[in-house]
Amino acid sequence: MGDGPAGRLLRNLEGVVYWAAAAPVLGRMPAALGYRIACWRGDWLSARQPARRAEIAGNLQSILGDDVSRSAVRQVTRDWFRLASCDAVDVKRLRHSGRALQRLVEIRGREHLDAALGAGKGVILCSGHFGSYDCAFSMLGASGYPVTTIGRWQHNYTAGISAAERRFWDKVQARPLRRHRTRPNIEPWPGRLDVATRAAAVLRANEVLTIVIDAPPLDCDKARTVEVPFLGREATLVPGVVTLAQVTGAPVLMGFLYRSADYRHQVLEISAPVPVEGDKAAAFSRCTAEVSAAISARPAHWRYWASTIDLASLGLVGAERDAPRLPELLPLPDDGLLTDRPKGSLAAPG
Amino acid sequence: METVIIDYISQELVRDPALLPVADETSLLESGILDSLSLLQLVVFLEGRFGITVGDADLLPEHFESVNTICAYLRTREPEKQAAHG
Repeated sequence: MGDGPAGRLLRNLEGVVYWAAAAPVLGRMPAALGYRIACWRGDWLSARQPARRAEIAGNLQSILGDDVSRSAVRQVTRDWFRLASCDAVDVKRLRHSGRALQRLVEIRGREHLDAALGAGKGVILCSGHFGSYDCAFSMLGASGYPVTTIGRWQHNYTAGISAAERRFWDKVQARPLRRHRTRPNIEPWPGRLDVATRAAAVLRANEVLTIVIDAPPLDCDKARTVEVPFLGREATLVPGVVTLAQVTGAPVLMGFLYRSADYRHQVLEISAPVPVEGDKAAAFSRCTAEVSAAISARPAHWRYWASTIDLASLGLVGAERDAPRLPELLPLPDDGLLTDRPKGSLAAPG
Repeated sequence: METVIIDYISQELVRDPALLPVADETSLLESGILDSLSLLQLVVFLEGRFGITVGDADLLPEHFESVNTICAYLRTREPEKQAAHG
């Protein structure tokens, strides 16, 4: 299963089989065995995708530089594939009440969430494309918090896939996540004027609004971007979450779900409110600093290592690292599932 | 009413000085002055300044196309506002 057209086809087929048949079984197995097998699948994918492995390793070295040794790069790259495989098991363990996943996740900082909701202005819970962030949001919903997410379902925006394929990915990926959320995702896209007002309605109802803040900006948002320190560089990001917090008065908390060394247990760490008063860029940089710190501490959890085009859009790698992205026939989950920006292969918005 | 809205938009929402001055008929959407977040800011301002509540169903582009259409929309809300106070 190489990186040529036949290899990509096989990879996509393997992804379909994994999500449709294997992951549901793994999600019902004893956790130790289910996640162990998911890791084996990650190792198998890593061994058979040299181009992607090289892309991840190259981006790690390019951005983290001397902070990371060659052996550490190898380990992070291997773990990146393992974590991507484990994500599917997380999604499947959200079945029914979601208790199968909840049992494996320790929530730290729940008191910050409760206190913020107690103030009555809702809560903005920010994260990055870090670990099983989408499962973290849904798991909070399964734990009794009214959760709505700002973010696009990737399969709805990927160009060139059929309606049947969209239905498939919606069924195997999005539906298990969606069923634990209070309202449909608020999906930003050019021309959608009601995104922020719908988000404000969630906060006015004193609910939890979740969002990942490390997404490369859409073209239509580029006038609103700011440069913030990120992973030792300057990243170009949209500080919309700060505007939303300043307009609504909702507190901003940070939340990161990270996986333990046994791959099955996870910790969802929720921070105290981040100050968002004053200058927008400065306030936003306090939020992105938390994302940056989480990635630095556990680099394998960050999805964007495998997407040079996204890293370039963020301003983290230069044009010389803009290797052509391997075209995907399907929005494979281990290729940045449910990220909230269109991939390079997407059709330009109308 | 028009002056109040133009002042707010000019001071708080226009990011590119080349878009100033804002006129009654300036297209706020086509010019990029209004996007999702700036619309929220504008709605919060209008609600506070004119004592109305803008419901989800009213968040239509035609209501926020220009200062003129915003004022026309606000005038349609006048009877409700008076009824609420009456």
